[in-house]
Amino acid sequence: MTTAPERAIDQRDALGEPSDPYPQGQVGRPVLRYGGGDRTSGAQRFVADLRFPGSLQVALVTVPVGCADVLGIDVTAARAVPGVVDVVTAADLPSPMPRFGVSHTDRPVLADGRVNYHGEPVAAVVAETLDAAQAAARAVHVDFRELPGVYTLDDALAPGAHRVQEPSLRPGHALADSNVLEEAHYAWGDVEAEEARTEVVVEETYTFPMVTHFPIEPGGTVAVPTDSGGLDVYSPVQHPYLLQRTLASVLGLPLNQVRVFAPDPGGGFGGKQNPKLEPLLAFLALRTRRTCRLVLSLEETFQSMRRAGCRIAARTGFTADGALTFHSVEADFLIGAYADVAPRVMGKGSYVAAGPYRIPGVRIDARAVMTNTTPSTAFRGFGSPQVSWALESQLDAGARRLGLDGLEIRRRNLVAKGEAFVRGESAATADGEWQQSLDKAAELIGWGTPLPPGRGRGIAVGIKPGATSGLSQSLVRLLADGSAIVYAGTSDMGQGARTLWQQIVADELGAPLEQVSVVSGDTGTVPFDLQTSASRSTVFMGSAVLEACKDVRRRVLDLYAESTGVPPEQLGERPGVLVTPDGELALPEAARVALGSLRGEFIGQGTRRLRGKGKHPLGGDAAFYEFNATAIEVEVDRETGELLLTRHVTVSDVGTELNPLQVVSQDEGAAIMGLGHSQMEQLLLDEHGRIRNLGALDYRIPTFKDVPVELVSAAVENHDGPGPYGSKGISEGALLCTAGALGAAVADAAGVVIRDLPLTPERVWTAIQAACPEEQDAQ
Amino acid sequence: MPKYHRPTSRADALAALAEGGARARALVGGTDLLVGLRHHHDVADVLVDLKGVTDLPEPIVVTDDGVQIGPTYTMGELVSHPVIGAWYPALVEAALTVGSVAIRNRASLVGNSCNASPAADTAPPLLVHGARVTITSLDGDRTASLDEFFLGPRRTLCGPGELVTRLDLPRPAPGSASAFRRLTRRRGVDLATVSVAAGVGPDGALVVGMGAVGPRPLRTASAGPVDLTDDASLDRALDELLAPATPITDVRGSREYRLATLRVLTRRAVLAAADRRDPREMAS
Repeated sequence: MTTAPERAIDQRDALGEPSDPYPQGQVGRPVLRYGGGDRTSGAQRFVADLRFPGSLQVALVTVPVGCADVLGIDVTAARAVPGVVDVVTAADLPSPMPRFGVSHTDRPVLADGRVNYHGEPVAAVVAETLDAAQAAARAVHVDFRELPGVYTLDDALAPGAHRVQEPSLRPGHALADSNVLEEAHYAWGDVEAEEARTEVVVEETYTFPMVTHFPIEPGGTVAVPTDSGGLDVYSPVQHPYLLQRTLASVLGLPLNQVRVFAPDPGGGFGGKQNPKLEPLLAFLALRTRRTCRLVLSLEETFQSMRRAGCRIAARTGFTADGALTFHSVEADFLIGAYADVAPRVMGKGSYVAAGPYRIPGVRIDARAVMTNTTPSTAFRGFGSPQVSWALESQLDAGARRLGLDGLEIRRRNLVAKGEAFVRGESAATADGEWQQSLDKAAELIGWGTPLPPGRGRGIAVGIKPGATSGLSQSLVRLLADGSAIVYAGTSDMGQGARTLWQQIVADELGAPLEQVSVVSGDTGTVPFDLQTSASRSTVFMGSAVLEACKDVRRRVLDLYAESTGVPPEQLGERPGVLVTPDGELALPEAARVALGSLRGEFIGQGTRRLRGKGKHPLGGDAAFYEFNATAIEVEVDRETGELLLTRHVTVSDVGTELNPLQVVSQDEGAAIMGLGHSQMEQLLLDEHGRIRNLGALDYRIPTFKDVPVELVSAAVENHDGPGPYGSKGISEGALLCTAGALGAAVADAAGVVIRDLPLTPERVWTAIQAACPEEQDAQ
Repeated sequence: MPKYHRPTSRADALAALAEGGARARALVGGTDLLVGLRHHHDVADVLVDLKGVTDLPEPIVVTDDGVQIGPTYTMGELVSHPVIGAWYPALVEAALTVGSVAIRNRASLVGNSCNASPAADTAPPLLVHGARVTITSLDGDRTASLDEFFLGPRRTLCGPGELVTRLDLPRPAPGSASAFRRLTRRRGVDLATVSVAAGVGPDGALVVGMGAVGPRPLRTASAGPVDLTDDASLDRALDELLAPATPITDVRGSREYRLATLRVLTRRAVLAAADRRDPREMAS
């Protein structure tokens, strides 16, 4: 019997890839997840598992509509519930209501007279027990008047539509008196001139649903007032340092008075990046002078994070031989009631709306449209899955018109390494041999081989810009006995970042893998890291850790010279060793000699900084691009619309696999997540803006029974990334173009083209009925 | 927070239920009840846990005439019972779609029937196989067919102070068979968009149980034998059998989709059940 890691690696071996390119080291090996045992056995303590004796429990009060004026809140009955310590409404918080946000300072700590989305808290109950808090929350009487909220793009963009945001929050902004929060425009070439030499024009509209992140750990926050008037805050956030800064700013405290402990998130996917309810918990704790604890339900998590829905109208031109001539896009991102990071999702997603292709004329006009819905935020893919769905579907539409297949039309248009796919002032060029991934995906799906009736194949590609600025700082301590401790602020939410730091330090300092430990999740002890997002950590924090190791080696060399009298110029260092006139010395041994009888330790510091570019629309050039090719083979049940995915291939351009096992698990996880929004996930709203499928019963995500019969992941390694040893970020690629590949496969199998996600059985059945009405009565 | 009772005798359980009246709930696996209480869809003052009662009917008794199932018999036990599998294959197929392994190991077949969800997976095969229930109170026992038992969404004949103590399944006629089909939004754990069980007699007579296409699980039967080798006869039979279905449009599916797929699934279930019949028994 083989273990799961062995199977994963066997699969890579079968693809002809060496699984052990670093025979001397830990980097490149399928090292098991740091802390993975605890995570699987249940020993890991998530925020809800932490015990705070004597803490107060918090319950939130909401109103049953998505948009309302709050006329009054009667807390009399709630306060009378035994065990209730406090019931807090907007009137109890500072005036004006403190607001926060990463792109706009628009989000109030508590709803301030106006409810802007269903689930937005209007009051919070603090009680000695959770039962008391929840009973009291139900006893709070909120007098409200429902307003004609806007819940769809059409609602929000209609003349005279209800304004989600008070115009005064954007003073002087041209769009302030509209529901368009921000716009992005990209253009190059001459679209009209290109159209003149175009053989085929495809013009269609596509939609992508609102979907929620659905982390298995809903999350929560515990705020502990300190004796010195500050706060310790426990929250499973991806960006502890951003939370620290936000809380310090909202509360008027210096950074050193706000200490954020970030227990490992149980899944984040972007949803746990930005502050949401933490400022409220902070106020509650400071007000009651007691520890206040809120653990969210899954339903509350649904109401606090989601991906922007999107509607994209696209016109795309092709020459007779399938070369793209122009691509014109109007993309409306359906964002929520507060900005969060949604304008950037819109701007960064639409930046790659023309994909990794050679297109002479492009015009992209995108808008972030506010609605009275859950604020949308970062979500794995960050706007790319939406634009990819439209573009990849357009390519297949063009291919069908021209009699080409999906692989051929992509081969003819995909840019080569170094070639620009975004042109103009802020151009972007391919940073990998992307056609290799496309070819490998085609090979692994058996492109062109015969299929049984009822089956079809599709292939698609996707790109996503990585981080455009960043700062990661790390400390590495090499202790006297040769063991080491890494301080790295990356949040480990299941992606396994700590494992890579362990591998890097083991190789660079010659320490045994099991004697390298990692400290993270505490702003009081761990140096600054900007964020855990955009698949950046391998490149940014990985480089910082690598730098810190080199710093340690230089310090070992210096002290060794001082302690032994060997002139420093006769010494050298490289990974794991000190080179002396007498030969190589293992670094731990050299360190022991250098430290002498007083012992002590070496402390190395590493920093990786990427400065942005002021004039760049994304704030800077992406540090790298994630590129993925996905191919899917599907069987369609024409009578019910059900899909059976018989084979799903995902190939990513990864630079270097620092840990092939973790690359496989990220690729497989992303591929399955991509099937979620492609096949079944969607938030459905009623006419009051409430989520109709609020909770696990009717919001469907893929289970293991929904995983394709065969799921194959492979990587292209050309060691051409900016991260350690030529690595790139890899955690989002495999979901960028899942929808496009599946849509093309369904079209191939069933002869119907569907432009609205997800491709639920009913939607597929409806399309088949519309295309072939005679099947209505067919048996 | 409801009071929790764990009586050891049937009499004590019935007394507690009688005392609690409309706000008392019998508890076995809790897979429906606890979820409802947690989400405040259901309200109870008293929970009467039957798992400690020693004089309830045995979880399962097999006789020459059929099978008697007690209130504590779980879906997990049911799916691996060889006689259930041989006599009521549609019931095993349906039970295997209920929740997950962990849920099935808690969930009680009788409890799930008493929950009376219109989409309960085991209801269609139980209807097809002619299940009857025994309803017990301090006043004594009464029996009813399951078809009579289901009154509407979450409503049954079992009233305050009453308890379903037994579910009887008659042994199927030789040469008959059953099959179950359902449609969901995904392959993993899901609630049915449409479910259907079909029973086919040795002569081609059809019985159909339907889920999620009306306010309660529905049972219909053909007037007589149907020639299953003839598409037109089967079509005519389906027209009649499926006529009582009145599905609604909700988050799981539209009325039109449910009606269309109900027909597809019923046809598939009928043909699968027909194939399952033992030709030697059909001849006899």
